[in-house]
Amino acid sequence: MPSVEFMGKTFNVDEDGFIDSYDNWCQEWVQWVKKEEGIDELNDEHQKVIDVLRDYYEKNGIAPMVRVLSKVTGFKLKHIYELFPSGPGKGACKMAGLPKPTGCV
Amino acid sequence: MAFVSSGYNPDKPMENRISDIGPKKYDEFYPPVIAKNKGTWLYHEYIQPGVYYHVAESGDKVFTVRVGGARLMSTTHIREICEIGEKHCDGYVRFTTRNNIEFMVDSEDKIRPLIEDLESRKFAGGSFKFPVGGTGAGITNIVHTQGWIHCHTPATDASGPVKATMDVLFDDFKDHRLPAHLRVSLACCLNMCGAVHCSDIAILGYHRKPPLLDHEYLDKMCEIPLAIAACPTAAIKPSKVEFDGQKVNSVAVKESRCMFCGNCYTMCPSMPLADTEGDGIVIMAGGKVSNRISAPKFSKVVVAFIPNEAPRWPKTTETIKKMVEVYANDANKYERLGEWAERIGWERFFEKCELPFTHHLIDDFRDPAYFTWRQTTQFKF
Ligand code: HEM
Ligand code: SF4
Ligand code: SF4
Repeated sequence: MPSVEFMGKTFNVDEDGFIDSYDNWCQEWVQWVKKEEGIDELNDEHQKVIDVLRDYYEKNGIAPMVRVLSKVTGFKLKHIYELFPSGPGKGACKMAGLPKPTGCV
Repeated sequence: MAFVSSGYNPDKPMENRISDIGPKKYDEFYPPVIAKNKGTWLYHEYIQPGVYYHVAESGDKVFTVRVGGARLMSTTHIREICEIGEKHCDGYVRFTTRNNIEFMVDSEDKIRPLIEDLESRKFAGGSFKFPVGGTGAGITNIVHTQGWIHCHTPATDASGPVKATMDVLFDDFKDHRLPAHLRVSLACCLNMCGAVHCSDIAILGYHRKPPLLDHEYLDKMCEIPLAIAACPTAAIKPSKVEFDGQKVNSVAVKESRCMFCGNCYTMCPSMPLADTEGDGIVIMAGGKVSNRISAPKFSKVVVAFIPNEAPRWPKTTETIKKMVEVYANDANKYERLGEWAERIGWERFFEKCELPFTHHLIDDFRDPAYFTWRQTTQFKF
């Protein structure tokens, strides 16, 4: 498994850059993914998406459906893409430390 | 090779980004005779298998030569297609919904040189690069999938069995001798990408063993409720498992309920189930999508299992060849394979095709299974 060193921390990641375990997530990881995803500034809205994703994952064991994410955050899908250019799966879930999306994606 | 930038700036990924432009509009690539006569075609006729012409109200004719394509092809091969298009068809060419290639010319004297050129081209191994055929009451290209070339859920290969099958059915690609056209499709797992569920004959990759459980990583890599909900027979339940002296969240699979669909692996990378001896092929038959005479039909399972026999899959191709020959000799004109099997009765279909009928073929999935059993005394001994 490849690993990345960033801000004094070591993260194990898969070939798509998703973290190996939800439990190894930390603020340094958020900063690393921000750099990787080419996001200039992290604002409250980014944080809100991450908080909703992590809260939902802890309660339900799955990532929320896009419609649920939109409804709970109040952000339309278009705005989620403005915040996370790679989208809610490859961008936001990666930053929130959730497992890589599966299925016929 | 050294890195060559396309102009994309990874530090500013959204700068100069073009998106949502969609495909090119189809009419940018019309040959002039197609553009001129669009929507005014009167009739069409076959000249020979693979070659036909359309006549427009204006009197204009367009002659089409259809050739087989392997679907998976190199840019070298595509360049050769372009070269032929440049040479004979003013640079125009099209691909069909079954991944054949069609060259169009606007006068009759251009057809023979085109056909001769196409049939003269061979690969170094001896196979035709552009065999003419695939029309009418014959067997055209096999709609197929990724197989061991690119997918992670296959139970068989796609390109390999397709080549083996088309080699066996090649004469029918170049002929119109069948009662009606016969569509063959392949899917390498029962996700059934493509057309296997609605084809006259279908080749389907099939597993026979339940998934392995990688307890060490399962909870880290998978959204466990998704894996549970992925199972059509509810064989999966959440469980706590002892791993390396620690209790970890994982799943348990009730193996007597598992029918090896592999859907849980699609959702959860820690539940792999591919197996060299276990995996193989199921043959289905009798599906169609057109509304001609009878309504569209699903294909039905007629052979429960044939082992994977790379690289030529002899048992699979032999079984298919046999079905095609029996159908060709027995069915009425215009009758699709499924219409024929339903008319003579499936018990006769199995008898004539010399296929063993096993308990695997009897539907046992939920309430609708009942409607596939026989609630009549009408049958033939
Ligand atoms: C040459 C003489 C007869 C001919 C050609 C004839 C022909 C037919 C035909 C074509 C049917 C329809 C079969 C089907 O669609 O399933 C039928 C049904 C029937 N016939 Fe006759 N029939 C003849 C004599 C008789 C006689 C003498 C009787 C009674 C004593 C009879 C009683 C019936 C009955 C009850 C049915 C309905 C059977 C059912 O569908 O359950 N038929 N017949
Ligand atoms: S049929 Fe299954 S294995 Fe084949 S390409 Fe589709 S998903 Fe992959
Ligand atoms: S392979 Fe299919 S039937 Fe078996 S446990 Fe997985 S989802 Fe259920």
